[in-house]
Amino acid sequence: MFSIRRDERLNAAQRRYVWQAMLLVGVYVVVLMGCTWAIRVHAPKGVELFLLSLLPSLPLLGWIGALGLYLRAERDEFIRARLVAAMIGGLGLMLAITTVWGFLENGGAVEHFPTFLTFPLWAACFGLWQCGRSIRERIGGSRA
Amino acid sequence: MNNHLRDLRTTRGWSQQELGERLEVSRQSVNAIETGRYDPSLPLAFRIAELFGLAIEDVFVSPSKEN
Repeated sequence: MFSIRRDERLNAAQRRYVWQAMLLVGVYVVVLMGCTWAIRVHAPKGVELFLLSLLPSLPLLGWIGALGLYLRAERDEFIRARLVAAMIGGLGLMLAITTVWGFLENGGAVEHFPTFLTFPLWAACFGLWQCGRSIRERIGGSRA
Repeated sequence: MNNHLRDLRTTRGWSQQELGERLEVSRQSVNAIETGRYDPSLPLAFRIAELFGLAIEDVFVSPSKEN
């Protein structure tokens, strides 16, 4: 087992969220590997195939829920405002990318973008947005 | 929004961390408010003013009165 060292920079809501996210990622990896293996080996059909295909999405839905619960639990309004701003920025970035990709795909210029990658793409855009903001703040300082 | 938070805090000899603990917010929040990067909500502005025993307008400068 691993453990998180108590970090004074993290408040109680943040620590709870980090634990939930780590747990859900672990569950996601195990469930995804298990379901992929089961589909390949047993070649299920009908309801079984539907459920095995659906199962890996549940930990990710849980992660989205955990993020929402964290936002509600975060009592520091500045941190909450920064987080929400980064989420909206990441969402805008993701919408821009998927819109451009969709038209390119429609024209046959690129391959199909699997929709299950939408959440990881948003998470990446969310992270990029936060990195960009940190750089902007270090260079010149900007508002939350 | 300009404010006198840094002066008020240093006059009492508090660090940003100490002020944050008294207000139940992070040190980053205190820093952002002091430097004018973040305008606090009305409830937090009241908490800040009440902590120093002042009126809100004695802590925060009205944007209409800024140069």
